[in-house]
Amino acid sequence: MKIITKLITWSQMKSPWIIHFNSGACNGCDIEILDALTPKYDLERFGVLLKGTPRHADVLLVSGSVSRQIHKRLVRIYEQMPNPKFVVAIGACACSGGVFDGCYSTLGGVDKAIPVSAYIPGCPAKPEAIIDGMIKLLASLKE
Amino acid sequence: MTLDSVLSPLFFILVFPGFFFLSVYGTFLEWVDRKCYALMQNRIGPPIYQPVADFIKLLAKETIIPKHCDTALFKTLPFFAMASVITAMLLVPVWPQALFPFQGDLVVIIYLLTIPTMTFFLAGWSSSSPFATIGAVRVLTQLFAYEVPLMLALLGPAILAGSWNITEISKFMFQNPLLLIVQIPGFLIAVITLQGKLERLPFDIPHGETEIVGGAFTEYSGGLLAFFNLAIDMEMVVGAALINAVFLGGSMGADGILAIVVFLGKTTFIVLLLSVLKAIMARIRIEQMINFCWKILAPLSLIQIAMNIALKIRIG
Ligand code: SF4
Repeated sequence: MKIITKLITWSQMKSPWIIHFNSGACNGCDIEILDALTPKYDLERFGVLLKGTPRHADVLLVSGSVSRQIHKRLVRIYEQMPNPKFVVAIGACACSGGVFDGCYSTLGGVDKAIPVSAYIPGCPAKPEAIIDGMIKLLASLKE
Repeated sequence: MTLDSVLSPLFFILVFPGFFFLSVYGTFLEWVDRKCYALMQNRIGPPIYQPVADFIKLLAKETIIPKHCDTALFKTLPFFAMASVITAMLLVPVWPQALFPFQGDLVVIIYLLTIPTMTFFLAGWSSSSPFATIGAVRVLTQLFAYEVPLMLALLGPAILAGSWNITEISKFMFQNPLLLIVQIPGFLIAVITLQGKLERLPFDIPHGETEIVGGAFTEYSGGLLAFFNLAIDMEMVVGAALINAVFLGGSMGADGILAIVVFLGKTTFIVLLLSVLKAIMARIRIEQMINFCWKILAPLSLIQIAMNIALKIRIG
């Protein structure tokens, strides 16, 4: 049994498929996420693939603070993902609300809506930081 | 019925050249394809164990079945796709000879390779999501575009060899290698349409991520998706093996282990051709694809057939 669990953990570490969701970002962080996927940074060498549908994805990358309008949609997308699933909050806005914090139309950080596994700060978060955060999240699976 | 008469077909179906061989070689070829694609884009690309890790991860994931879908159909389709591909593999020559050669196996194999496409359509249709439905319709539309040129292209060597038996065709092409030069247009047409059959760039219209999220597979997750992916990898092996047998003379008269080495080398070569095609082109629209297949590829393959008939009359 132990070997099978180990094998599954290994495969989860080696093949995180991501889906990207903009919950009200200024688009700065979204551009940086796309940047990390370009040939220059090449996330595929860590097994990362960008997927269009939440059903195929393991990791939900959320950028931007959660606006009240998008709150329900974000929760719905999260619920559509099959277990085990992880959420990564990218950028200062997604971590805590950032410059939009306290605004009448926003709820605050992503963790106000759904459980978050990793926070990647920065305004916008650098592609290197995003890759580093992803790798650290995957490494934490081992424990 | 003796034990042997049960065991050896079981071996063929489950181990070689059936399920086990196809899944191992298919995942390897997927890695070759992705690595070559990455290298052409100036990237490093995934490590060799990547497709295996993807497969295990998907198996371990939760499988969500949508509420409104046809549950029985939804669950069995990936296995139908895989079964038909494995059956097709039994008819392609891996050794100098196919396992069960008979007159007309070329037609049967094309028919068997159409079944996975039908399962993709049914998969999209039965998952009752708008994206999957659009993807399913596109799968069918695309099927009508590439199937005719593919069939016509494969007919060329069959006419030259005067046989509908793949083993005989591949023997004939190996004995007359000069004829291959005349078959180059047909070979290219077959490679391009195979690309359409496998739904890869530039013909990945049925699951264009930027338009219809996941296409026919939008609602699939977990183990079912893993088996669909495996079936597509297997289909790539069978498609490459078919083109190898029909156009490139199969195992080229080699025997035993050597025949398998030749087979592996040549199918890898065809897959490399496929990934070059994938890397140098962008997705086209569905009506562009249909125009291209019907207005360019189909007439070209007809010309190829006319040329072959003339040649056949010349050489007798
Ligand atoms: S963290 Fe900065 S760049 Fe990112 S969404 Fe917020 S304001 Fe924009």
